[in-house]
Parts: sequence; structure tokens; C-alpha cells
Amino acid sequence: MNKEITCTDLVQEKLALLKQNTHQTVNTLLNDLAIDLATKVDAKIAKGETIGLLEGIPFGIKDVYMLQGTYTTASSALLKKYKSAYTATAIQKLLDAGAIPLVKENCDSFGHGSSSENTIFGAVKNAINPELVGGGSSGGSAVNVAKDYTVFSIGGDTGGSVRQPAGYNCVYGLKPTYGRISRFGLMAYASSTDCVGPIAKSVEDIRIVLNAMSGKDNKDQTTYASAEIENKNISNSESIKTVGYFKNFIDSEAIDAQVKSDFLASIEKIKAKGIEVKALDFFKSDTLVSTYYTLAMAETASNLSRLDGTNYGNRIEAETLKETYAVTRSENFSEETKRRIVGGNQVLSQGFSDEIYLKGLALRDDISENFENDFAAVDVILSPVTPNTPPKIGDSLKDPLAMYLSDAYTVGFSLGQLPTLTVPQGTATGLQISAAKNNDELVLKFANFLKDTI
Amino acid sequence: MSKIMTVDVLSSIKGAQPSEAVNRLFEVIKNANSTTNNAFNNNHNNCVSLNDLRADEVIESSTTEKQIIIENFPKEKNGYLVVSKVIED
Repeated sequence: MNKEITCTDLVQEKLALLKQNTHQTVNTLLNDLAIDLATKVDAKIAKGETIGLLEGIPFGIKDVYMLQGTYTTASSALLKKYKSAYTATAIQKLLDAGAIPLVKENCDSFGHGSSSENTIFGAVKNAINPELVGGGSSGGSAVNVAKDYTVFSIGGDTGGSVRQPAGYNCVYGLKPTYGRISRFGLMAYASSTDCVGPIAKSVEDIRIVLNAMSGKDNKDQTTYASAEIENKNISNSESIKTVGYFKNFIDSEAIDAQVKSDFLASIEKIKAKGIEVKALDFFKSDTLVSTYYTLAMAETASNLSRLDGTNYGNRIEAETLKETYAVTRSENFSEETKRRIVGGNQVLSQGFSDEIYLKGLALRDDISENFENDFAAVDVILSPVTPNTPPKIGDSLKDPLAMYLSDAYTVGFSLGQLPTLTVPQGTATGLQISAAKNNDELVLKFANFLKDTI
Repeated sequence: MSKIMTVDVLSSIKGAQPSEAVNRLFEVIKNANSTTNNAFNNNHNNCVSLNDLRADEVIESSTTEKQIIIENFPKEKNGYLVVSKVIED
């Protein structure tokens, strides 16, 4: 159905839906800013000026990105009243392209979680079944896209935080190659795997938003220059000859029987198209999860050490300065955040660092090398996104170890810094497509192929 | 400094204790086999080339940015922002 609608009407319609906050996805509604920008787009159209692909398109922002003048809480008590002084590079690029930010979205506090329950704004509800979790940590972003409250949302993926909620809510979610999009203005969780990632309802939308945000940025020296991905280059999958999958992911006792049989059925459909499928060896799930969490905790302990109530944050006064730091942090961090900070300081301390932290780094190198060898043998790797379907709200918080292990299929690709996309097909929580570093184009190409195949 | 610091002090979190769930992750790492002997002897770091370092220049913040930074400061005394002092011990 084609419908002509002004940009202002479209934005107002979406804002009205978000205002109801039916799924607890909203931390801050950017009402005035959105209406103001929409009015400018309408004026431009009225004058007959050409508008860009993203101009007037309403989008959501995970509440860990700086957008000047808006609250950026990281869904935490500590930063409940923290106002962004500047704007993240990725978000600025979207603003420059004319996209309209509607909402700062609920998530696990500082990205610490896989269910979006670790938040002061209330657990995010799943878009398909509101009794279940929305996934995490970018849960609010995935649910907003799934419910059509935003056209696309920008999540953040450190160990699966875009791909897993995308899978739980049946939408697309991309973790690009590390460094393709600037992290400047993204609140740091684990700097060596933090990625800016778009969530949307089509491969085409992912492509457009990815192109808009990509590029070298001298404010993030891990970024690199990348060529624009053109639609014509991802519409034909002839160059994809071999697909791999990790045997141990599928043979694992932890995988749900239905997820397993659906995944294997997807593999058969791919084979039927004449593509060679290879079963690959990979690291055990517990090794992947432990390596990821060891390094991520060490990095988050360092990154969050600045949050002491001095330059910003909800300072709680105590008798001495050190007491002030300790009380501020103790009262304002969630249990999960505290668990990760303490874990990080454990592995970084003398006596533990060789045995755990440096060993973790060495394992990460082994994992990266494994990927390099794999991509000499296959074009893309296909995996389930999660071993199981989304848990009920309330269940994940009881068992942190189980929550960590539920990230088994996503964390490896983060450690490898590989481009990985969740597609809402194949299993109840989707499929992940991964390719070699810097080969984001191939990932999108295979997603288009799967759209027509499964 | 040879003083042993416990994790609650290191983390500035009162009463913090190592957790059972996290310790179990560490046990896995201790028992895992790695083929790489030296974690720093690898090709996977995100190094910046010396030729590609950004210019060392001072960029003036906008008035809005300065104003928000002041707003975010938790403590003000006699018109001055209170920042941390050196911890002696």
C-alpha cells in the first residue's frame, strides 16, 4: 500500500506509539528534537529540494550513545542524570544524512547482560511474546524495530548484543567488522570488541545505514576506510561456493532440539542450491565464553573506573574522598556490573594476570587464527544465533553463569572481530552469517541469498 | 608498593567479593590449552601506524559542550567545580 504522509506526521505517529512504552523500550523520548527535524525535512520537500535516502527516516538509539543535549544513562542509576556533551560520530553521520532520532532506548546497564533486565527502566519485553525477555543488551532497540516503533535502531555489540536481541525479536542485526564504524561517543564496555551495529527489518535497510555510518574517524584510531557497499554487488550470490558450520555448536548438549533440527534443515536447503557445505572444528563453547568474559571483564573494569561521581555521575557524599568513591559506586552500579568489575580486577591483579588474563589473550589469538584458516576453506560460516529460545522475564537474573553460557554462539565472532549478521530465518532465533574480516559485503550478499532460499 | 589490595578496594565497591559464576569461567581458562606461547607475539592487534597518528592539536570545545560539562558536575563550591584531590595513602 502506498500512502503519502508528511515527515512530521510520520514522526508524530511513531512518537505516539513510543510514548505508550508498551514494551519498556523507552529511556528518553526525543520529542522536540524529532519534531523540529521533521519540520525541516517537510520544508525541504515543499521547496522541491532533493532529499537523501535516510532523510526524514525515524530511528532509535541505544542509550549508550552520546547525542548532544540528551540524557545518556546507559540504563544505570549512576548516569541517570548524565547529559551528553557531544554527539557520537556514528550518530552524527546519521543526523548529517537527515535521519531523525526519536528515542534513547532501554538496554542492559553498560551493556552488561543478555536479556535487557539489568536496567533501572524495567525489563524490556519481547516483541513477539511480552512474557519473554527482549534479549540484550540492545533489547530496546531490537524490540522497537520489530514493533515498527522505529524504522531502524542503532545498537551496540560487544559479545552479541545486537545479534542476539535481533534473533529473539525476528529482525536483522549486524555486527560489522571491528573498526568499520567509529566507536567515538559509544560508552565503552570492552573496547577491543565494541562495535556499532544497525538493527532493521531488511538487508537493504542494513546496507544503507551501514554505508552511512562507516568510515575512518580520527577520533577512533581503530577505524579504517571502507568502500560503500552497492546494492548491485550483493544481489547475486554466484561467488559463494562453500559454506561452513561449526560441528560442536550443533552437537552440543545445550542446544534446543528444535533449533538444532531447524538449523540442519536450513543447511540441507543450502546444499540443494548446489553450494558445498563443510562441517568445521571449533573451540568448545565454554572456552569461547570464558575467553570472551575474561577479556571483557578486564576491559570493563578499566573503562568503568572513571565512574566515581567526580566529573559526572550520581555522587553520594561520604566521610572521606575514597569512601565517597566507594559508596557512589556501590550504591549506583547493578549487581551484574559489580560482578564484572570485580571479575575484571581479579584477572588484572598480580598473581592472576599471567594465569588468566594473558592466557585469555593467547586463546583469543588461537581463535583468530582458527578463523583465518576456516576462511581459507569456506566463504561464509553459518551458525544458530542462540542455543535456546528467549527465557521468561525474571529467569536469567537468577543464574548468571547460565546467562554467560547462552552467549556461546555469538562471542567467538566478537573475539575474531568478524562481520556477523543475524537474519530472522532458519531457526526460532534466526541464523548468523559470518565472513572474514572486512568482508561485510559478502555477509549481506549471503543474507540476500538466504532470503530467497530458506 | 607491596601492600596487598583486596578486590573491594581495587574496585572501589564496598564489600565486593569474587563471585562463584565468574570464578568458574576463570577455571576454564586456567585449564584450556593454548598453542600460542606469547600473547603479545601475534598479528591480531589493532595497531596504529606511526604515519597514521592523529595530529596533536588542541580543539576548542563549543560553548554548548562546555555548558553541559559544567551541568554534569556533581559538586560546586563557591562558584568553582570540585574535582578530585590527590589521595595520599
